[in-house]
Amino acid sequence: MPDAENFEPKIVAFLCNWCSYAGADLAGISRLHYPPSIRVIRVPCSGRVDPFFILQALQQGADGVLVSGCHPGDCHYLTGNFVARRRFAVLNDLLQFCGIEPGRVTFAWVSASEGERFAKLVTEVTEKVKKLGPNRKLKKELP
Amino acid sequence: MDRSEKLRQRARELLEKKEVVMVIGFGPPSDSGISPVLFATTPEEAENLTASTSCAQNLANYLLKVRDRGRVAVVARGCDARSITVLLQENQLKRENLHILGIGCEGVIENGRKSTACAVCRHPNPTIYDELIGEPVPAPEPDPEILKADQEFEQLSPDERWERLSAELDRCIRCYACRQVCPNCYCPVCFVDASMPQLLGRTHNLSDNMVYHIIRALHMAGRCVECGACHRACPVGIDLMRFNRRVAKTVRERFGCDAGTDLNQAPALTGFKPDDPQEFIQ
Ligand code: SF4
Ligand code: SF4
Repeated sequence: MPDAENFEPKIVAFLCNWCSYAGADLAGISRLHYPPSIRVIRVPCSGRVDPFFILQALQQGADGVLVSGCHPGDCHYLTGNFVARRRFAVLNDLLQFCGIEPGRVTFAWVSASEGERFAKLVTEVTEKVKKLGPNRKLKKELP
Repeated sequence: MDRSEKLRQRARELLEKKEVVMVIGFGPPSDSGISPVLFATTPEEAENLTASTSCAQNLANYLLKVRDRGRVAVVARGCDARSITVLLQENQLKRENLHILGIGCEGVIENGRKSTACAVCRHPNPTIYDELIGEPVPAPEPDPEILKADQEFEQLSPDERWERLSAELDRCIRCYACRQVCPNCYCPVCFVDASMPQLLGRTHNLSDNMVYHIIRALHMAGRCVECGACHRACPVGIDLMRFNRRVAKTVRERFGCDAGTDLNQAPALTGFKPDDPQEFIQ
C-alpha cells in the first residue's frame, strides 16, 4: 500500500472538447508543467457528463474526478453547461450528504485560452486529493 | 353525504355514462389498516371504493399501465396528483384521457403510525383535479423528530455519514421494489438492468448499492413527490425518504422548484437559469 508521502493520486478528468480540452492543449503547447496525475477523457460537452460517469470512475479506482467545461455563456451548444450545472449542483450536494469528502470531485470552468489556469487547476486538484488520501469509499472491492 | 359515498356515487356515474373505462381508487382497508388498490370497470365494482386514504401505493403508477385503454378516472391525493403532474409534464399521460377525482389526504397509517413520508407531508391536497371529493384538509405539523434526525445527520462528519449510510445501504438486496412502485421511475430500460454495456454490478456489493441509491435519487431530483411509496415497498425497510428529502430540499432551495405542484413550471433539471448559483464550481 502506498504511504501518504509517496501517494500519487489517479484523477480522471472529463474535459469538454471545445473549451477545457483546448485549454489543456494550450497548457501543453505552452510547455507548462503540472502533475502527471490526470487521465483525460474528452467529452463533447460538460452536458454529456452523466453523474454516473463520475461515480463509475470512483468505483473503478480513481482517487479524484475533475469535470470541466466552458464558462457559462460560452457553450458551443449554447446551453449544455447551464443544464449540466444544475445536475452537478444536485450531485455535489448529494455526494457531500453521503459523506464523500469535499474535494474528491471538482467542477470547474476552463476556457480554450486558459492554459495557465488549467495547469494551476490540475496542480491544486492533485494537492487536494493527495491530502485526502486514496479513495476508499466508493471504490469497488471485489470479494 | 360522506366522502366515501360521494366518491362511489361519482365513480358509478362516470362508469354508467361511459365517460371513463375504469376508476382507479382505494378499496376498504384490510386488517393491516392499509387499503388495497381497486380497479373498478363496472358501476357494481365501484361500490367497494372508499375514501380512506391509507393506501400504500401511489396511484399514478397504474395510470402508466392502462394509458392505452382510453379515458380513466383516478382518485388522487396530494402526491398522486403531483406525480400525475410530473407525468403530464413529461408527456407520459394525456390530460384528456384523465378524470382526476381529487381528495384531501390524512396520511397513510402503517403499523399504527403515520408513514414517514406522510409525517412531514407538505401537500395533502391534490394540486390538479377535475373535481374535489369532500373538503381540502389542512397540512399536518411536520414531525419534529424526523426534522431533528435530519439535522443531526447533516451535522455529522463526512466519515460518520458515510459509515451510517453504508450500514444502512449494505442491507439493500437490490430487489428494485422501490423503483417498481415509483410512478415517476418509468424508463423502459433502467440503468441497473442495462447489459450492453452492463453499467452496474449484479451482485450484492456496497459500492454498487451506494451508486444505485445515489443515481436513483439523482434521477428523481425535481421529480420525486415524496409520496413514500418506495419506502413502504422496501422489504428490508431502507430509509429511502432520507435521500428523497435531501434531494427535494436541494432542488427547492437552489432552483425554487417543488416537484409536481405547478403544471406550467418545467421539471427542475430539464431547465436552467443563466444565473443559477454556482459557488461549488471553480
Ligand atoms: S426496495 Fe429496498 S431492498 Fe429493494 S432495492 Fe429498494 S432499497 Fe433496496
Ligand atoms: S422516489 Fe419514492 S417518494 Fe419519490 S415519487 Fe418515487 S415512490 Fe414517491
